[in-house]
Amino acid sequence: MKTKNYIILSLICIGLIFSCSKDSSDDNFISQVQSNQTNTTTDTTDTSSTSSSTGTTTTGTTTTQVSSFDRGTILVNYADNIIIPRHNDFKIALNELKNATDNFTDAPSIANYDLLHEKWVESYKKWQYIEMFNIGKAEEIMFYNKVNTYPASTDRINNNIDENKTDLSNPNDWSAQGFPGIDYMIHGIESTKQAIVDKYNNESKYGIYLKTLVNDMSTNTNIVIDDWGTYKASFISSVDNTATSAFNMLTNDFVFYFEKGLRTNKIGIPAGRFSTSPLPDRVEAYYSSKNSFEDISKILALESRKAAEDLFLGRSSSGDLGASYKSYLDYLETDLGATLISKLEAAETALNELEDNFISQINSDNNKMLLAFDALQTIVVNFKTDMLSNFNIAVDYVDADGD
Amino acid sequence: MNFIKSYLREKQDSSSLALFRLGFGILMTISIIRFWQKGWIETLYLDPSFHFSFYGFEWVKPIGEFTYLIFLVCAISAFMVAIGYKYYLSIIIFFLSFTYIELMDKTTYLNHYYFISILSFLMIFLPCNARFSVDSLIYKKKYALIPKWNVDTIKFLLFIVYFYSGLAKINSDWLINAQPLKIWLMSNYDLPIIGNTIMQKEWFHYAMSWSGMFYDLLIPFLLIYNRTRVYAFLLVVFFHLFTAILFPIGMFPYIMIIAALIFFDEQTHKKIIMRISAFFKLSNIKSVVTEHKYFAYPKQKLSLFIITVFFIFQITFPFRYYFYPGELFWNEQGYRFSWRVMLIEKKGYSTFKIVDGESKQSFYVMNEDFLTELQERQMSFQPDFILEYAHHLGDHFTNKGIEKVEVYVDSYVTLNGRMNKRFIDPDKDLMKEKRGFKNKEWILPLNEKIKGF
Repeated sequence: MKTKNYIILSLICIGLIFSCSKDSSDDNFISQVQSNQTNTTTDTTDTSSTSSSTGTTTTGTTTTQVSSFDRGTILVNYADNIIIPRHNDFKIALNELKNATDNFTDAPSIANYDLLHEKWVESYKKWQYIEMFNIGKAEEIMFYNKVNTYPASTDRINNNIDENKTDLSNPNDWSAQGFPGIDYMIHGIESTKQAIVDKYNNESKYGIYLKTLVNDMSTNTNIVIDDWGTYKASFISSVDNTATSAFNMLTNDFVFYFEKGLRTNKIGIPAGRFSTSPLPDRVEAYYSSKNSFEDISKILALESRKAAEDLFLGRSSSGDLGASYKSYLDYLETDLGATLISKLEAAETALNELEDNFISQINSDNNKMLLAFDALQTIVVNFKTDMLSNFNIAVDYVDADGD
Repeated sequence: MNFIKSYLREKQDSSSLALFRLGFGILMTISIIRFWQKGWIETLYLDPSFHFSFYGFEWVKPIGEFTYLIFLVCAISAFMVAIGYKYYLSIIIFFLSFTYIELMDKTTYLNHYYFISILSFLMIFLPCNARFSVDSLIYKKKYALIPKWNVDTIKFLLFIVYFYSGLAKINSDWLINAQPLKIWLMSNYDLPIIGNTIMQKEWFHYAMSWSGMFYDLLIPFLLIYNRTRVYAFLLVVFFHLFTAILFPIGMFPYIMIIAALIFFDEQTHKKIIMRISAFFKLSNIKSVVTEHKYFAYPKQKLSLFIITVFFIFQITFPFRYYFYPGELFWNEQGYRFSWRVMLIEKKGYSTFKIVDGESKQSFYVMNEDFLTELQERQMSFQPDFILEYAHHLGDHFTNKGIEKVEVYVDSYVTLNGRMNKRFIDPDKDLMKEKRGFKNKEWILPLNEKIKGF
């Protein structure tokens, strides 16, 4: 990058010398550049004021017709109002899950079990808002793989329980931990609540493994959150258009999450879109539905969709809008932002059409699942063609063509 | 005829070819080393399990770990070209190895690689080692003069490259909509000073589009003409360095800058050669070499014939798209090997459906199971890639035991800022379509005319 800057500066100098040495009409050019620069400074204060003002949010983002756009403002809004608060929300929920786990394993009872289940649902919902941020430390420690790889591998889990295994860093153990692992531990090792509570009462190895799972998640979450304390500064300043800049990586992560984490994993695979027949046992939170504890697959899918919509609109958990992909698209003068908003709403409608229990939905009327898939698919198409093209996200590590 | 005959007898100082050879060889050596050092041999040729071939060249494939050997041979031959050691052997080996590399996977196709291939082919017929070469030391001969047409062929090739890429820019997307430069320039917001100012201005997008078009069309003439040459060359340097900043185009700008030196007169070339020679104190060793006045061309008629055929091909081949209906930028039939550079910003999304023709059961394929990210991206908007990949999938699932495989694609493409459109007929079983030069009727039309060349 440095050499790039030097080349630019020297080219500009040459250009200026050239134009100065010629006739006076060129002076206009220079003054024009200067006036543009002053424009820019006022514009940036404009955008920052819209992002900080909370009352006139909707008008603020739709009317940003600025003559320059700073991708940095998007990253600042995303980091300050979405990524970091959402991580903190998750951490709080996870702490409650941890306490509930300790309570339950210390004294397994129906009451303690119910609390544990409730906290698992709460924290699983909060997780949907941060799974997409597979960037920085999270990417480095494989946070997302360790927290939400499903379907859970029951063989692996049973083995680990028997061996009292506490080190789950091996990639083969990804499907033996996290929320899907806990799902099996509290809804799957037996098919009724009482039988499960009894198991924890009779043999300590279940409690030990359950605690390991929750503690690992908690440790990893703290690592990621602590790192954001220092990572944030480099994150918000990394706006250059290179394959490794934070803006580009985040955008790719976001699109990847929508395609893979939401469309494929939550809907596509269980609905059999990638296999000759449906695979209902691949739904998220499978054991909770299967053994009739609570049907949360749909709830999680809806949260996930909302999480994606929030990021696209730059919307914080309190509903405030700020600089976002949407406002950037508006700046680039495409209709794409409006198209995507209505498609994201249509996807919500399609998901709401589904039964709470995805397993029975797939078995009774899989076509509705496929319709939900299509509603998400059409958004993926817009993201991967129109949006990435308009942003001209540099993802290539190789040379492109030139003249 | 007399005119041609006397033209063919015209002579020029051999320094011109020697200097060109030196620059070409050094840049090629650096290019190959750079390619290697960036790890691209592995990521582009060894990691993928499947490779996209050029029609008729399906037999050209990476050869496992030995692929490194091809690059090594290519780099060594490039260096031997640079120093002029066993020149004819070296340039032939370079041409073959470089072309082999480019044919291994068309995912990485670039016009400038094609340019290198055909330029090195042309150089096989030119006595670039006549002077200032290890060969002249070994054979104790050097030649002061070579035929003028030798140098002119290189100039003519450069002329074609520039002029044709200028012609291709005369189209409504480029000139009327300033696309795709609008998209590309606006994404250069991260450049200091200019990034968030002029890069974001509409007038600048138009200025760049129009001046780019005029530049490409006029620069070869300005380089040929004596009185404008120096300014033209400065423009070449400025233009290519500027594009080097704006776009990830690797070695190409530097290659074009060095190549444009060929337009200077023989005295300039001679002076540069002398300077280099003095700098490395090469004059100490040249004493044994006897100087011959004029290079006697062996088999000049054969060389001339081949070169003539070569240029007829170069002049006509880029216009083959006339034989295909529909919009060239959309269906890309006749797009490659035609100096159409930086003309389209295209992104696609293509998912493939495998249908068992007997049970009618179907499922979709996850592209990442078969392709690398780069391959998937290139495949998604290019019809010949889509067809080849569809056949690969079909064959794969035939081997898995599905007897009557049908392959369909859901494909959407955006072109130069237009909202995405369905690209391929979703009801066409691609297994029934054959590869080849015939018009691909299963491409859905853009339904919009992009006017121009």
